[in-house]
Amino acid sequence: MLVWRFDLKNGVNPRLPAPARTRDLRLDFFRGVALVFIFVDHIPENILSYFTLQAVGFYDAAEVFIFISGFTAALVYGQRMAVKGALYATAQIWRRAWQLYVAHVFLFVIFIGEVSYTVMTFNNPMYNEEMRVADFLVHPHIAVIKALLLEFQPTFLDILPLYILMMLIFPAVLVSIQRRPLLVVAASFLLYLAVQILGLSVPAYPEGATWYFNPLAWQFLFISGAVLGQSSARGVSLPALSRALMPVAIVVLGVAVVVRLSWTLSGLWDGFPTLLLKELWPVNKTDLSPIRLVPFLATVVLVAAWVRPDEPFMRTRLARPFVRAGAQSLEVFCLGIVLSALGHFILAEYASGWAMQIVVNFVGIGAMLMTAKMLDWYKAMDRVPTPRPATVMRPGRGDEAPL
Amino acid sequence: MKLAALALAALLGIPLAAAAAAEPSECHVPDELSQIAVSLPHLATRLHDKDPVTIVAIGGASTAGAAAGSPDLSYPARLREALAADFPKSTIRVVNKGVPRQSAQQQLERFPSDVIAEDPVLVIWETGTVDAVHDIQIDDFAGALQHGIDQLKNRAIDIILVDMQFSHSTAAMIDFQRYLSTLHRVGELDDIYVFPRFAMMRYWSEQNVFNFDGVADGERAKLAARVYDCIGRRMARSIRQAIP
Repeated sequence: MLVWRFDLKNGVNPRLPAPARTRDLRLDFFRGVALVFIFVDHIPENILSYFTLQAVGFYDAAEVFIFISGFTAALVYGQRMAVKGALYATAQIWRRAWQLYVAHVFLFVIFIGEVSYTVMTFNNPMYNEEMRVADFLVHPHIAVIKALLLEFQPTFLDILPLYILMMLIFPAVLVSIQRRPLLVVAASFLLYLAVQILGLSVPAYPEGATWYFNPLAWQFLFISGAVLGQSSARGVSLPALSRALMPVAIVVLGVAVVVRLSWTLSGLWDGFPTLLLKELWPVNKTDLSPIRLVPFLATVVLVAAWVRPDEPFMRTRLARPFVRAGAQSLEVFCLGIVLSALGHFILAEYASGWAMQIVVNFVGIGAMLMTAKMLDWYKAMDRVPTPRPATVMRPGRGDEAPL
Repeated sequence: MKLAALALAALLGIPLAAAAAAEPSECHVPDELSQIAVSLPHLATRLHDKDPVTIVAIGGASTAGAAAGSPDLSYPARLREALAADFPKSTIRVVNKGVPRQSAQQQLERFPSDVIAEDPVLVIWETGTVDAVHDIQIDDFAGALQHGIDQLKNRAIDIILVDMQFSHSTAAMIDFQRYLSTLHRVGELDDIYVFPRFAMMRYWSEQNVFNFDGVADGERAKLAARVYDCIGRRMARSIRQAIP
């Protein structure tokens, strides 16, 4: 059944007061797993990346992250819009966009620190000549402004700009999908098609570069996620559609996994036959090639059908850390980006053996999950009202009842 | 003893010239980095017929030999010397077309003037560094490679691709991995030898054979020249293996 329902009973932490409205734990769980995969995949030559989505599917954690973010945004802000009006919801959405922007700038500062340090202490003549191009320190006045304008997107700092842009347009999307959801999906899909056919792209810095995640293509994932989120909030279920799509989805995903897995295995053992490699490779991530999109949508259909919103697994000790990570996605995402850069540095600088790789992965994922747990605890504590001593009167606070 | 070694070399199919060439021990790399599975048929025919051979090395700063301070110390120059010793009956010319700071696409645009015009029988294409540094889209990188390879194949020119250089500090800063695997996959799909420079230099770095840390400025160029020398020799060795 293609239906995503609210489950009012599941608090993130049952011992503490639940938030006003609780979440579909599947969303948090899969987003949490996606964040861990993004960390793992961002460390080059990481053995653990053979066990993430990208090794078996044509898509990777980025699709999961963007889709679920659209879905969740529609749930959360759709409800706020219904209760407090479009203007208030818009303000809230843009506040979220601002938070994302600040996080992006924070990551960029860390990036500048790392690169400036490396470039300034760099003394390998074999590379000096070629490295000069990378050296954005030659034009810092332009590079920094371009980064603030989201045009300069160094490696790994490319998904937040997409998310920020999506949040900026989201108020309009949200209002539209409440009236004409099908029309919005159709328009979004047409834009996606136009990218595939006409090769539209969004320019970036330096000259000639484009947005790594082409927003004109990736908006389709965010918006279709939002439309599904919106219909689930209304309790719309599409059993007939889901029944019709199931067999197709199974076949599509089955074929995709077999083909993609053959590529992964041939990378491990020379001579393992690769299926359709010449025909399909390279698969375009920037424009969200249909080869990525279609297996992803098939996965969505199957997950919606097979994993129930009240799936008991989501509340097991194994799943809980990931659910928490997904619920605190922005902080955990940023931490993951910083940790993967650090992990990469450690592996490149000191040792790259498999034992060290296991340690780096273990420590990094542990830090992400522990941080999520801490944030979860902190935010729950924040919601507990603090009773103030009744005799203390604070000047200028009208909301406190005097004795 | 020496005779036994020579007999063993002959038995294993190692050309005697290889056993005889005096390669500095610092150039040593593990066996899996010196295997070549493809042949270079057009070059082989020329060498077999003792005809003159032109090889074009197109690439970036490391092809030009910038770090060593002189084109004579670049790896194409060292390669020429090693090949000339191995195949004394052919006149071997290696043309160096290294231009710093160019992407694969920009190098491809130089093909008509710098490559085809020289009428080479083998092209050594060193590429990918600037693409990785500039974060050029993988598809565009793969597309440029494929385009160049098709052009050369259609003209019956043999090809060797050369991947990036390895260095600790850059490895932590630039994500070479995607570009490396793309380059190697294109090579695999097109049956083209990709000279594993990145893996070799990483091996030398791990073994502490060549280390630029704490080396005085005056010595750096000499050290770079030794690295280029090893790369030229290793490449000559690969070429010998690919000539039946």
